[in-house]
Amino acid sequence: MDAASARQETPAEADEASVSTVSVANSISSSFTKPILSNLPGLRTGSLLQSTASLIWLLQAGLIAYAIHRLASDGHFNEVVLPALSVLALGILRAFIDMIGSRIIFKTARHAISRLRAATAEVLAHRSPLDTQKPPSGTAASIIAEQTEAILPFLQRFSPVKYKLVIIPSAILLCVSWHSWLAALILIFCAPLIPVFMALIGFRAKKASEEQMIEVGSMNAFLLDRLRGLNSIRSLDAVDATAIRFRTAAETLKQKTMIVLRIAFLSSATLEFFSALGVAMVAVYVGFQLLGDITYGAWGTKLTLGQGLFILLLAPAFFEPLQELSAAWHDRASGKAGIAALDRLAMHNLKILHSDKQSKNNKLSSPPEVLIQNIHFQHQRTNIPVFENYSLTVRPGEKLALLGPSGSGKSTLLAILAGLVSVDSGKVSVNGTELSDETANAFRQSMAWVGQKPHLFSGTLKSNIRLGRKEISNTDIDLAIEQAALSFVVANHNGAIGEGGAGLSGGEALRLALARAMADGDTHLVLADEPTAHLDTATAEEVTKNLLKLAENRTLIVATHDEQLASKMDRVIRLEAKP
Amino acid sequence: MKRHHSKKQWQNLLIILRLFFARHRNMLSIGMLLAALTALSGLALLGISGWFISATAIAGLTVATAVSFNSFVPSSVIRLLAIVKTAARYGERLTTHDATLSTLADLREKLFRGWAEPGAARILLKRPATLLFRLTVDTDALDSVYLRILVPIGAALAATLLCALVIALFVSPLLALALALWFLLIGFGAPTLASSSASRTARRRSYGMEALRARTIDLVSGQTELAIADKLKMQCSAIVKADAYLAAADDRFNRIETATTAVFTIATAIALSATLLTVAALVDAQAISVPVATLAVLMTLSAMEPFSGLRRGALELGRTMLAASRIAPRLSSSAVSQPVNAPDGETALCLQNVTAGYEIAAEPVFKGLSLRINRGERVALVGSSGSGKSTLINLITGEISPSSGTVEAIARTRLPQKTELFRDTIRENLKLANPKASDDLLWDALEAAGLAKDIRKLPHQLDTMLGEGGLGLSGGQGRRLVIARMMLRNTPFWIFDEPTESLDHKTAQDVLNQIKTLVSDKTLLIATHIQREAALADRIIVMKDGQIISDLTKDNADFKKMFSSLKIS
Repeated sequence: MDAASARQETPAEADEASVSTVSVANSISSSFTKPILSNLPGLRTGSLLQSTASLIWLLQAGLIAYAIHRLASDGHFNEVVLPALSVLALGILRAFIDMIGSRIIFKTARHAISRLRAATAEVLAHRSPLDTQKPPSGTAASIIAEQTEAILPFLQRFSPVKYKLVIIPSAILLCVSWHSWLAALILIFCAPLIPVFMALIGFRAKKASEEQMIEVGSMNAFLLDRLRGLNSIRSLDAVDATAIRFRTAAETLKQKTMIVLRIAFLSSATLEFFSALGVAMVAVYVGFQLLGDITYGAWGTKLTLGQGLFILLLAPAFFEPLQELSAAWHDRASGKAGIAALDRLAMHNLKILHSDKQSKNNKLSSPPEVLIQNIHFQHQRTNIPVFENYSLTVRPGEKLALLGPSGSGKSTLLAILAGLVSVDSGKVSVNGTELSDETANAFRQSMAWVGQKPHLFSGTLKSNIRLGRKEISNTDIDLAIEQAALSFVVANHNGAIGEGGAGLSGGEALRLALARAMADGDTHLVLADEPTAHLDTATAEEVTKNLLKLAENRTLIVATHDEQLASKMDRVIRLEAKP
Repeated sequence: MKRHHSKKQWQNLLIILRLFFARHRNMLSIGMLLAALTALSGLALLGISGWFISATAIAGLTVATAVSFNSFVPSSVIRLLAIVKTAARYGERLTTHDATLSTLADLREKLFRGWAEPGAARILLKRPATLLFRLTVDTDALDSVYLRILVPIGAALAATLLCALVIALFVSPLLALALALWFLLIGFGAPTLASSSASRTARRRSYGMEALRARTIDLVSGQTELAIADKLKMQCSAIVKADAYLAAADDRFNRIETATTAVFTIATAIALSATLLTVAALVDAQAISVPVATLAVLMTLSAMEPFSGLRRGALELGRTMLAASRIAPRLSSSAVSQPVNAPDGETALCLQNVTAGYEIAAEPVFKGLSLRINRGERVALVGSSGSGKSTLINLITGEISPSSGTVEAIARTRLPQKTELFRDTIRENLKLANPKASDDLLWDALEAAGLAKDIRKLPHQLDTMLGEGGLGLSGGQGRRLVIARMMLRNTPFWIFDEPTESLDHKTAQDVLNQIKTLVSDKTLLIATHIQREAALADRIIVMKDGQIISDLTKDNADFKKMFSSLKIS
């Protein structure tokens, strides 16, 4: 029923929802998925078609009952031919209508999934990397892949059930009560008992299964967790002990799962029991009525064989939508969980500076001057500001070191300069133009970033240097590989690197980051975040040398706690750790 | 070639099936029997009801026949069947799920053991995220072998058999044979056809899903790099593209599924119509009675139903096969790694003329490397990345075996570079090193590692649950906990791999001081590139390109020079 209210909303609500799409870009949205999921007319069309297909059974049942009735009343073979062929024709018609309906539903639902994924990717792209609430990459991947996927069966199976639940039983009741009010009463009596019992059992099941979901998730997590630490397990000679513990955990999980399943199965057994009982009672009643043992229930007349069979054939179909509902219930639960996960992901207020409308003309053409004026910045959920009324000027072509211990805000300052997070107040300008949503993209194109742990994209080493920048020629890339002393790495890693490929050592990864920067001739401002951390002396020296080479005729700002690196810069700004 | 490939796939599936039946044969068989019973009672319920109504209608025509008609037995049977059907279904679900879950528990343990072998572990650690993810989804995909293929096959066969038997006995053997053949042809033929045309799509789906995940991981982890290159939009459209690829596969899947459903509906209509015509002819010829004719029609009506359970299993078969082909090899692997023997006398470690590397094809990292470390020596191993430090440590700990030469070492424990703690209580994390350790012993170890005070402050003390990767402790605390764990193993030879990497200077110094007090009577090998760690050592070995280029003890004049050439922190 919740699903109904999620999609069938008043126009006013729909308006509100479309307003909130705009506000996603700005900050907080009340519901991120609603605008996409609230308007899916295909689901309605498809569901109505599928309901129509189910209704065709009423005609088929009538024809079968009629045919047998004719046979019983000394009818001949000839009289059965037409009904039998009509049953076949209707069966074919029913198959096609059902197929068309389910295709329409699928296409609509799948299209909605694509839109959800695209919108989620947007959100992930623009949530600031400094946002501590942002899910880690693995979680983000499972939200966009599996959790979003779970919405598909929910839309696909739950929506036709909603329509069938209303249309089919009422049509059948109408037909049955036309012939026998008592048979209709039996069906009515059995049907409402089902939701009551299911609700009673389901109530208990809900809590148990919520706990269960966490457990099942943690079983996989258990395995992953231990496999990640295989080095330790092997060096502690604990493979056996871990395997046994794993086994015990799996057994416990199994027992807990069975408790939940027992309740879940009990609830569907209730449903099946009442529908089987409903069919049995209808059959027995009709039989006794035909025998004459029961004389009431059929509007004062005795039922005919045809009427009796017709009622019997409709009885199982009466309960079918309820069974479908029960089967789709699980889809509904995981679909709703998926929707909730997407909505949570979109709830944030820390974004990187960006805009779709870009003024291309503020691309830099020479080493820029960077001006930081009275900025104020504070991390989420802390009350100590990192920068309070902080100002700094970096001259064109200057090489500046921001030196300080971890927590002093040096990396944050670099992120602010790259527009990866916006300041609470104050302003940052590059060559006199203020850094803003509109200007950030163009500025960033003239920047290079050398981080301490560069991310390796899945792909080849060369594609990792290019990063999709089409303006960079193959010659540029080869040159950058040579300059960054990466040639031997290229020779060693012919295939894929990154996710699903081989990794690089810390030194190699940094050389890659330098090569990324060197390949782009349009770079005028280089931001380097702790480039020599975690490197051995020889590699650190080499990276420093290459960084300086990269910084020739460019403005360089490097955040570091490496005194040796800092001493090679034109100027050193010391930042203090915040308490 | 292709045939060979598909044969191999079936073999993999067989390995998995054998695993299913090896330990839980009875339960799995009972599950299938109950599924058959459910199908049979459903079929009988409708058939007998139809017969009952027709029979009563005819008997009810005259008072005499109405009175003599025994309505008690059939009406009780009908009610009984309703109860049997429900009970059998409940029992079937419980048994089949219990059996599947038990088997998956076995499978997970077996997989863990398979991956814990030295060679396998290295492959896994090289590319953790993808392989680990595959491992979990593959395991989950395997439950459909039994639940969605074997169980429905059992139920469908039983239903077809009953339907054919009843019709053969009471109506016409010829009609029974024709119906049985028709049901088997469509019931197995359509899913088989669906499965073969969906198998490529199932693989595509699985690859598409992996691409979607990998691209999302790139978007989130590489966000800064992408933002600077102004390629966030490009990465978003790469994700959209991966989804479009998936959508195409999903669409094909859906087309196959809906077509199969339609085939089933039409096949039922054909069977129904044919049965109706046949019984009409037989009634006309007065060969059978009307109640029997009704019985035949109603049984035909629902005989196809159990086959529809096969539909999903058939569509997923491609995915299941893929999972089986990735998992099966891990279940029967037997990587041979030679044990590292202990040397005699005062020697702690002895490498003689060792040649070793990773892949057989690749150039070995060492050629003819020799090294001796005596008991009680404390050695720093330095060299830039790629010099062979890690390979040397892997050799000593038995992670890799030399292709020639000998490696001998006394009992040793290695502290990996990364703090590896597990999602478990502090107690269980410690007991990994010594499952029999008493709490007193654990506290002693924590005391020695300088962590006891911190743990005592926690509300649940040793029972404190740690998050994934030891979440909940600070970097320094985690490092100390790992050292406490090492203490519990108490081997005479400790191997450290950059023990204070990623700790801030003050914490690092504390941890190192702690280590210093603990290693007084031990042999120590410490791979490092910073002074504070090398300060523990009284001998420095420098490696470059797989060779030892200098080997200096504290009394050597160059020792100090070497030491001060290292990075301070």
